[in-house]
Amino acid sequence: MLADQTIAKVLEQGLHQGADFAEVFIEDSISRSLDLLDRKIDQINSGNSYGIGIRLLFGHESCYGYSCDPDPAGLLQLTENLARSKRREGRVTPKDLRRVPVNDQHRIRLSPEKVGKLDRVELLRRLDELTRSHGEPIRQVSASIVEKKRSMLIANSEGLFREDSRQYMRVRLSAIADTGDGPQGGAVSPGVLGGYEFLEEVDLEKLAREAAETALRMAGAGYVDGGVMPVVMGNGFGGVIFHEACGHPLETEAIRKNASSFTGKLGQSIASPVLTAVDDGTITNAWGSLNIDDEGNEAQRTVLIKDGVLQQYLSDRVGAAQVGVPQTGSSRRESYKYAPVSRMRNTYIDKGPDKIEDIIRSVDHGLYAKKLGGGSVDPGTGEFNFAVQEGYIIRKGKVAEPVRGATLIGKGYEVLPKISMIADDLELAAGICGASSGMVPTTVGQPTLKIDSILVGGR
Amino acid sequence: MQPEVAIEHVLGLARQNGLAEVDVLVERGESLGLKIRDAKVEKVDQSTSLGLGVRVLLDGRTGLAYTERLEASALRRVLDEALENAELQDQLEVNLPDPANNVSTAEALQLYNSELEQLSFEELAEVGLEIEATAKQTDQRVVTLPYLGVSRESGEWILGTSKGAYYRQRANSATTYCGALLQEGESRKTGFWFWQMRDWNRAEAAAIGPKAVKEGTSLLGARSIQNCKMPVILDEYCAPQLLGMFFRAFHADAAQKGTSRLAGRLGEKIAGKNVTLYDDPHIPGARGSSLLDSEGVLTQKLSLVDQGVFQNFLYHIESASKEQRTSTGHARRGYNSGIGTGSHNLVMEKGSFSLEELCQQPERALLVTSLEGAAGCNSISGDISIGVQGFLLEKGERVQPVDSITIAGNFFDLLSQIQGLGNCYQPYLSKIFVPPMLLDGLAISG
Repeated sequence: MLADQTIAKVLEQGLHQGADFAEVFIEDSISRSLDLLDRKIDQINSGNSYGIGIRLLFGHESCYGYSCDPDPAGLLQLTENLARSKRREGRVTPKDLRRVPVNDQHRIRLSPEKVGKLDRVELLRRLDELTRSHGEPIRQVSASIVEKKRSMLIANSEGLFREDSRQYMRVRLSAIADTGDGPQGGAVSPGVLGGYEFLEEVDLEKLAREAAETALRMAGAGYVDGGVMPVVMGNGFGGVIFHEACGHPLETEAIRKNASSFTGKLGQSIASPVLTAVDDGTITNAWGSLNIDDEGNEAQRTVLIKDGVLQQYLSDRVGAAQVGVPQTGSSRRESYKYAPVSRMRNTYIDKGPDKIEDIIRSVDHGLYAKKLGGGSVDPGTGEFNFAVQEGYIIRKGKVAEPVRGATLIGKGYEVLPKISMIADDLELAAGICGASSGMVPTTVGQPTLKIDSILVGGR
Repeated sequence: MQPEVAIEHVLGLARQNGLAEVDVLVERGESLGLKIRDAKVEKVDQSTSLGLGVRVLLDGRTGLAYTERLEASALRRVLDEALENAELQDQLEVNLPDPANNVSTAEALQLYNSELEQLSFEELAEVGLEIEATAKQTDQRVVTLPYLGVSRESGEWILGTSKGAYYRQRANSATTYCGALLQEGESRKTGFWFWQMRDWNRAEAAAIGPKAVKEGTSLLGARSIQNCKMPVILDEYCAPQLLGMFFRAFHADAAQKGTSRLAGRLGEKIAGKNVTLYDDPHIPGARGSSLLDSEGVLTQKLSLVDQGVFQNFLYHIESASKEQRTSTGHARRGYNSGIGTGSHNLVMEKGSFSLEELCQQPERALLVTSLEGAAGCNSISGDISIGVQGFLLEKGERVQPVDSITIAGNFFDLLSQIQGLGNCYQPYLSKIFVPPMLLDGLAISG
């Protein structure tokens, strides 16, 4: 992707300018997307991204620059410019680069390159047909296949030199239903770190049913009455709340700035004793998995919370050094255009002893948030908000009528101790997480669980 | 290869292949950004980015492809890819426009200030350090300033078509931003302020620290309020955000595909008489200004809502051809993205009240100064259910900071429930200009 000699020269230039650490990240990505909308193949796009990111660290201070021009002179100039504000006498020379092969844990069984685009087009048409077959109120369907192969090379002044590639495959499906009082949507979007075999094995009928049923149920639903109440959160994508409200504040990127409600709480009880939460970058072919992170470290399984007690933060090189914790192989970036920081991979609340029926039965009046939409959090204050995509009233221990327009609002550190029951139906779901190092594939997940009280926004 | 040469190269290849309709879009960007922490420049980001996107039209079918490598072999490949993609696509009846005549130069839009490029690293650093120091001095309740940055950024786009159109436009800006985390007892709040302009004003750029802190401290001690209905005032920062979340209902392609509540309502009253909304692509200095859209169609000022009556949808070439009409010049495209619809500068006409006067109108009201995420807003149905923070007002006075509440309603109903409009827009670089508004009919949950 770039001559070894050029890489070595850039690293040497970085240290020569007084940096304590220099890193080169080279990326060459192939992306492809096919979109079906309104029964038509609406857009097909494919492309190649290529660029070089250079990072210099001066203690905990960092300089990051990138370019898509591989010209060695330009890269050396960029390195020099980056050091401009910090320049001091260079004291060390980089260690010799030593190529360490990556052990691929996420095999691809069928390379997407070997399958023609026409097969993808047919798959999208089939999804459209299956989704519309759920009834006339399904007014619109959009479906897409998004794929990306990221090939990258990471080298640093400590002699690290590693190359890896990540193949992502994802299908997105959304259905819109209207039964006379306004359109409502339902969506599913599973994905893997894997090859085309995913598209051959995914259950298209199940995807179509899920998207259509959410849209149809919400189309007939009334509005939820807002207020503070117990909420049963559905499994799978429901884990997005933990991701936003607790995962982000557990990243050293927030901890090191003292901008997290969990700063200084290692070893302390921060959640209900029934709760164990894990961020695992090693799950085979999972959407948020990695062989190595974007600083070249092996991916790990990191237990964040065990039986309610905070165990570990998610860290990157700078965050680990500044906070004084080990590196967890969770340094990530969207592309060469971003410096890497600590980010989540596959984050989930572990399964518990309860049954979903018992959890529902324990609620006299509350909300069953079967599926969540997106949301956001302020890591400093812990304040979060989430949309409920598919919700139902729970009345006297039974799931009753569907309701639309519900939003969940709270503070992460206040909600964690209120999780009182956790079921045994752990499920993971693919998502895209946006933060300071860009948009990265992450998995969220949880079993069905009960929060004793939380604010439900409604009418 | 330089971008101009690369565009010619691709168009030349297209001619050799007998392709009559091809357009090439190049986007180039440069930025220098500094993040400040503990009286030091903690992070420096410096970048140059470049990308080229090709669109091939083949018998009404569209194929797209892009590359960030401007070498001859990569350009050959990108054209081949676009062609292959076009062959698989369904027919959408898109034809490239003939070159627009008499396009004046983009300089008239005042989107680029060459003086900004002279802004040195040292000056940016000084301003950042000053923001940090003044913010910390403002209030002892500052825990940390986790988000503090200073940057200058510039970008350029160039469009060339096989029909001979060629257009380039560049823009730049300078930005400072500061997020301050405040704490008093158990209450933690983040206050945020930013400054973004094209004319460098050092004093203004550096003055945001205390403003960010004040935003946060004013919300310390915030509490929820009981479920109720009361008038809600959105300030000049929140009102444009809300319009932005639902604006896609004005896109013709959304209406054609059944995802707009405004479908079939042209000429009808969709809002109160006090609502006049238009898109103006020619406002000097505004972020969305442009003489041509990204398909090379001349842009024009377009009335959307006139005194409450729905006037026009926004079209690009494809959505226009479906209705046998011409594009309104609202295609939007990045080098690596498909063609979509987008407004240039959305303007809702101002009312006559200052924000204070609006606040004084109801006996009791909620002033919203922060919307928390857009996830609870459904752009298709118009449903709003969103967390907010702000102040409880009694006779116009702020009697209590408020958080842990949501407001709920429907955007398309709200358009008819605007009781009053303010007389100001938020002052920084923008492409959505909506004044503060006093709304009736929203439900508050707490």
